[in-house]
Amino acid sequence: MRVDSLTTMQLDALQELGSIGAGHAATSLAQLVDRPIDISVPVIELLPVTQIPEVFGSPERLVAAAYSRLSGDLGGCILFVAPEESARALADHLHNREAGATVSFGRTEEQLFLNTAHVMASAYLAAVSRMVDMDVLSGEPQFALDMAGAILQIAVVRVGMRADMAILVRTQFKGEGTVMDAALFFMPDPDSLDAVLARLGLV
Amino acid sequence: MHWDSSDYERLELPPRDPNVVDVSAGHYAVGEAPMVLVAPALGSCVGVALYDPQAQRGAMAHVMLPRPVDAEAGGLMERFAEHAVPRLVNALREQGSLQSRLVAKLAGGAAMFRADSILATIGERNVAEVKRQLTLLRVPVLAEDTGGSHARTVELHLETGVLLVRSYLHGVREL
Repeated sequence: MRVDSLTTMQLDALQELGSIGAGHAATSLAQLVDRPIDISVPVIELLPVTQIPEVFGSPERLVAAAYSRLSGDLGGCILFVAPEESARALADHLHNREAGATVSFGRTEEQLFLNTAHVMASAYLAAVSRMVDMDVLSGEPQFALDMAGAILQIAVVRVGMRADMAILVRTQFKGEGTVMDAALFFMPDPDSLDAVLARLGLV
Repeated sequence: MHWDSSDYERLELPPRDPNVVDVSAGHYAVGEAPMVLVAPALGSCVGVALYDPQAQRGAMAHVMLPRPVDAEAGGLMERFAEHAVPRLVNALREQGSLQSRLVAKLAGGAAMFRADSILATIGERNVAEVKRQLTLLRVPVLAEDTGGSHARTVELHLETGVLLVRSYLHGVREL
């Protein structure tokens, strides 16, 4: 289906799905860093594929990202993105260091970031799986530290050859009293989106 | 690869002056000296720069994909290399450039996440389709900085025909 023909009710249902997934992901992150984590209401973004590289602000912003392909009953991907300074703040928390102690992003920090992303993606997808009664798992996450726009282009590759609009379900996470700020994008493939909506009885 | 983010170059963004034109994903732009055409944050996307040295005129496309698999893909068709490259040549000819004077430089076409089979090859396929179109149109490729797994911002300076490639990994390179 074309995502720009989704009805309000279908979009609401996807937002609800995103909320529940994000709630579980935030709880798992809060347990990891041992402090409260706030989440935004997930934003459903329905936008031309050509605008995707700009959804995280300046396309040249340096961000850390973990990309996992979905496996099981749904195709697509899940992407955890944090500006570099937030990714370092996350490493400070996980190492129990003082804020600002992590000055650069090396292999240890990369591994910590991937583990965090994997825990959050798994929690998110477990909640989605229960809601739609399907098996959805995340593959092994892969790391990149580079320009936000270049990383977000992966969403374009997945849908852009067949359609000109894409749907992103984005949630923002903020740690209390820190600069930690991150976003999780849930990007089911167009066919999988149909399957999810069918399971929710909304086709 | 062993690396550390402290090795990254400081990336200075170009000043926002009126001569600088942003070419965002799926778009293209045409201009003359002293303009600078900038395609920001290329990952698997490719920045295709065509230049007519005599007229100091050039064009840049920010190509996202090789070609549509579905004829009804819709939207901006210039996101596809198959459409964007001939469009660039036509746009320059309309401004008075001879096709035989045009030269090309390319950058981008990286694989940001190598282990994913779809994502790993799209950059290469973009570059291949761009080159195929340029060959069909008999426009020679003078230089390229493609592949790898890092993001690039490219700037085509129409006064000189220089293509500047900026990245966090390598700093600034001149093509």
